[in-house]
Amino acid sequence: MTLQECYAAMGGDYNDAIGRLRSERLVQKFVLKFAEDGSYSLLQSSLADSNYDEAFRAAHTIKGVCQNLSLTRLADSSSALCESLRGGTPPASGLAEQVSTDYQETISAIQTFREGISG
Amino acid sequence: MNLDKDVIPLNNQKKKKETILIVDDSDLNRAILSDMLAQDYNVLEAENGQEGVDILEELSKDHPDLSSVLSLILLDIVMPVMNGFQMLEIMRERLWIEDVPVIMISAEKDSANIERAYDLGVTDFIARPFDALIVHHRVINTILLDAKQKKLASMVADQIYEKEQRSSLMIDILSHIVEFRNGESGLHVLHVRTITEMLLDRLAQKTSRYNLTPSVISLIGTASALHDIGKISVDEKILNKPGRLTDEEFAIMKSHAKIGADMLEGLSIHQNEPLVKVAYEICRWHHERYDGRGYPDGLKGDEIPISAQMVALADVYDALTSKRVYKPPFSHEQAVQMIAEGQCGAFNPLVLECLTEISESIRDEMGSVDPTRQNRREMQTVLQEMGRHEELTASERTLQLLEHERMKYSYFAAMSKEIQFEFTTSPAMVSLSTWGAKHLGLDEIIMDPLHSSKVFSVLDADACRSLSNTLRSTSPDQPDISFDCQLNYQGDLRWTRIVARAVWSSDEPPRYTGALGKAIDIHDSRMRLDNLERLASHDTLTGLLNHAYAKKRILERITSRPGSSYAMVIFDLDHFKSANDNYGHSFGDQVLIYLADLLRQSIRGGDIAARAGGDEFVIFLEYKEEIETIIDRIFHSLCGQYKDFPISISMGVALSPALPRDYDSLFHAADQALYTAKRSGRGRYCFYDDTMSNTFCATVRHDAPDAAEHQKEERT
Repeated sequence: MTLQECYAAMGGDYNDAIGRLRSERLVQKFVLKFAEDGSYSLLQSSLADSNYDEAFRAAHTIKGVCQNLSLTRLADSSSALCESLRGGTPPASGLAEQVSTDYQETISAIQTFREGISG
Repeated sequence: MNLDKDVIPLNNQKKKKETILIVDDSDLNRAILSDMLAQDYNVLEAENGQEGVDILEELSKDHPDLSSVLSLILLDIVMPVMNGFQMLEIMRERLWIEDVPVIMISAEKDSANIERAYDLGVTDFIARPFDALIVHHRVINTILLDAKQKKLASMVADQIYEKEQRSSLMIDILSHIVEFRNGESGLHVLHVRTITEMLLDRLAQKTSRYNLTPSVISLIGTASALHDIGKISVDEKILNKPGRLTDEEFAIMKSHAKIGADMLEGLSIHQNEPLVKVAYEICRWHHERYDGRGYPDGLKGDEIPISAQMVALADVYDALTSKRVYKPPFSHEQAVQMIAEGQCGAFNPLVLECLTEISESIRDEMGSVDPTRQNRREMQTVLQEMGRHEELTASERTLQLLEHERMKYSYFAAMSKEIQFEFTTSPAMVSLSTWGAKHLGLDEIIMDPLHSSKVFSVLDADACRSLSNTLRSTSPDQPDISFDCQLNYQGDLRWTRIVARAVWSSDEPPRYTGALGKAIDIHDSRMRLDNLERLASHDTLTGLLNHAYAKKRILERITSRPGSSYAMVIFDLDHFKSANDNYGHSFGDQVLIYLADLLRQSIRGGDIAARAGGDEFVIFLEYKEEIETIIDRIFHSLCGQYKDFPISISMGVALSPALPRDYDSLFHAADQALYTAKRSGRGRYCFYDDTMSNTFCATVRHDAPDAAEHQKEERT
């Protein structure tokens, strides 16, 4: 799996990422790093604790990182969730679930990609 | 970014890496930024606003001016513990924001957030997702801009010191008065000042502890002249007493230090002038000793301002080497030795080091002190000062570039052989390109051009005003105009097109501040166009208007002056066919030309005359009264003889008041009247009336005066 195919699987915009970050090496490095980022688990635990301020910040971070890496699909769903959480209110139904689905897809694509390059 | 060759190293001339602080809660975001910038900058990272503040706090402990250790902060907004706005608030309270520029990077695109960020003093705002190259450039620009701004601020301050130079003359005069009473050489003030400045220069090289910038040194030098002003209150007898002073006299003598300071403190104005403050220090404390045994306050060590320490040393040196009523002069070497050995007071060891280190220069300088040397010294200070500012090189380069552009501009302006101009409203002034000015016989610079008779001799006053109004009525969005007019090229009146752009200020609302543009000679093409227009509108044989163009003119006339009365006249030559048949076509043409000439002569300026085709002509004229007389006159002036050919015409006339006011009705009616005239036997004119709508001839006129009368009778 190439990085480009990985982007397709993640619902991301490969060309946009390369266009902004100017380097395939950099994009690859940070896509791989994305899988290790703790923001998603922070989001999950904050939502479970009904700590919506914390959840907002976590969703905001995911959105920001996804925007930077042009992971469009996850950026969109986390952005929607983030807006819904703004001001410490519980999220509208379905938004958190959508983020989870998109996140899992993204992560699994990254894992496939990682196996491809290390194998 | 560090390994990628596709990104240009923008910062490669930096000797020392500058430091950037990245404050962002996401590791990944920090890593992306850090990765992009690490090659060119030292990067510090903080996970949230609180950590950022802690880092700033730590740095500012050792570096009160944060900018010396930190060049830029990249700041996120949404973070736990302390967000970006809260951190900015603290930076504002602590005045850190004055020292270090901040670029905010955030996915918050809401304009309220962006505005708040700018309100809190950020220099720039970059939205996420960002473009690596843009971040890189903005970082560089922000750092450079900030450094430049600080440098400029200090340069401006340094300019002020020049102003102080000017006041030094007054100070010299004042202090000379004091000296005069003291019976001193008159050079004492100059000596003290020179030595003080030399010592301070040396001290500044040795340590940065006293913050001795060139302007500070110059200020102390100037103020040093006032060190003894307090002596003005001391009795001359004591001042000039040859022998040893009594205790009482010495106490009076000692009072001069405090009295001088009091005099300065008593100044009702200028209390905040740095010069006054420094002079106060010097007056009051130039007799203090480093060991605390001096007067009047017994200050010790660096409690004594460095200005006063230096002046004290210079004062002692000059007193030793000068002849006084109570002692002969000592040599330079003796004096330096006596001071160094502590025979003449106690001084800061660092200051004494300065004295011994520059001893030779002082000796040379004192051997030849004169006011011109002093000036030279000041000049040198200024030069050194200028050398210190690398930016001057940059601005010199800017000036060179500007000069280059100017040269390029004037070269191309001269090459293009164009009249180029620039106009400013304030001052009201036109400047012309060299070639343009020469070509028009004007000066290159003309003040108040809208009231200049010289300008009006080239472009007449009305056209000038009209041009000015046209420019003024543009808008910043559509500033370009094209304006055709006749210019007088030193006697040669030529059609010229002025193309120009109005210049609007960027204020709100924008102001019209002038214009720039050029004048293009369009005379030849305009003449060609005029000629073509003439060709298109005129009958080539007779030079009269052609039918189509005459119709256009007539319609314009009717529309523009609907209240007037008009006569439409159509006539043709009787038996013209026989002229052609008997004498040939070219003779026929000559007859037509002859007739056209007659016609031109017999009508008035405003009338419209045209050849409608073949031997048929049209006249359209405006009248107020007595139309019959006019028609009769025209009719008769056209009849006559050309060579052997007798010219006889038939003419039909239609008058507008009696008819619908449109061209076709008038033309048709005149044609009907002509038809009637022909049917009635030719060689006559005929006015249209209603009965002719059936081609029935009611009023036929043959013989003019009678005919006119007849018609009058019939019409009344």
